[in-house]
Amino acid sequence: MSEASHRAEEAPNWILVHPAYQDIKSLEVEDSAQVHAAFLVYMDLSEVRRWKEVSCVKSPELQVVLLEGREKEGAPIQTVFPLPTHRPLSHQSIRHVLDRGFPMLLCAVASDSTLVYQRMTDGLVTPDPPTGPFQDLGRRQHRKRRKQQ
Amino acid sequence: MTDHTASVPAQTEGMEQGPPQVLGVSDSAPPQVLGVSDSAPPQVVGGQQNGRLGRPLLLLPEEERLLAELHATANANQGGGGVQLSLEVKQHLEEQERSLEEQRVLALQDRKSALLHAMTSSHTGSLGPSEALRGRLEALHRSFTFPRGAMAVQLSTARAGLHHCHEDRAFLRAQQPITAQHDSKAAARYQVFRDLRGRGFYLTSAGKFGGDFLVYPGDPLRFHAHFIAVVLSLDSSLSPLDVLAIARLGSNVKKTVLLCSPGGVQYPGGAGGVQYTSLQWSGMV
Repeated sequence: MSEASHRAEEAPNWILVHPAYQDIKSLEVEDSAQVHAAFLVYMDLSEVRRWKEVSCVKSPELQVVLLEGREKEGAPIQTVFPLPTHRPLSHQSIRHVLDRGFPMLLCAVASDSTLVYQRMTDGLVTPDPPTGPFQDLGRRQHRKRRKQQ
Repeated sequence: MTDHTASVPAQTEGMEQGPPQVLGVSDSAPPQVLGVSDSAPPQVVGGQQNGRLGRPLLLLPEEERLLAELHATANANQGGGGVQLSLEVKQHLEEQERSLEEQRVLALQDRKSALLHAMTSSHTGSLGPSEALRGRLEALHRSFTFPRGAMAVQLSTARAGLHHCHEDRAFLRAQQPITAQHDSKAAARYQVFRDLRGRGFYLTSAGKFGGDFLVYPGDPLRFHAHFIAVVLSLDSSLSPLDVLAIARLGSNVKKTVLLCSPGGVQYPGGAGGVQYTSLQWSGMV
């Protein structure tokens, strides 16, 4: 029992001593919640999803930590914007991140550390059309459906 | 072209300020003015609105404003119509001639290949008929005629807006004064509306999807909407959860959510720039 609680006391510190966290901290972004969110996303990308060349960079206009990485070897670099869900988001800040020129993912970090990624692209991107095969229902099918109702 | 069933839009003074309506519109209204068909209230003059003149169109406030502006600019540009018209006629005739020539060439090619196919398929392997074949091809070449009546004429059915038919423009003049909208969002909405219209999209309201406009690549009766346009100013802040919610909704209905903000940096000095950001499914579960 005491051993478990002892471990629990030490456990939170593992983040603070983690080299990735210290890298992010060295960027000197004041918003600690955003720094924490950035760390969680960093771990998700590098350890869970096994992205390559994940690195952190500071956005001067937004004063936040942004992450960059490649999904696979040789894939193009993408920018990931980690954001705690209680922080506000403006279209202007999205444009700032898009202006860096890489495909962008917003990552919303909830208070329970759930991560949700959202793709954001500049311009008008047509949605994917519905996939086939398209089959016209015969009359028999139609009558079946009406009966079921 | 268009078939007008009535020439005078009904007057609507004495009606209280309702949504802008266009009365007396024939069925073949110019494209892109969509509105929503609505039954006219009984106070309208003569009580004949529903039956004779057709049901009025309920316009988006942006549509109304755009119509009024178009009408104003068109009235200013009425002069010089004669010269413009004769130039257009000349161009049209030249295009017809060019099309006729092309079609003649293609038709001859078609005939020749059909002849070739017919001759060679019946005499496979033997070399004898090649003389006869050449003779027939030459005869065809000499005697081939392509009468003007056989020409296919392309009619473009998608019209370019209200520029061509000023009778329709006069017809669609909104009778009530523009419902003044005092909220700041209205100006932003209108700018986005005009920009998307300028790109050739059809727009309707998107209340069903929690957005401002539904953006169609063509006639709404023929296409599904591609985008749900959400208008917001560049600096207004929203919660990331709201962004996720509307993006999720868009993914579920196979539409891309479009964040639209007027005030692009691409057009220095011009108020026409609008910045667009598309929200797509990330695929990262």
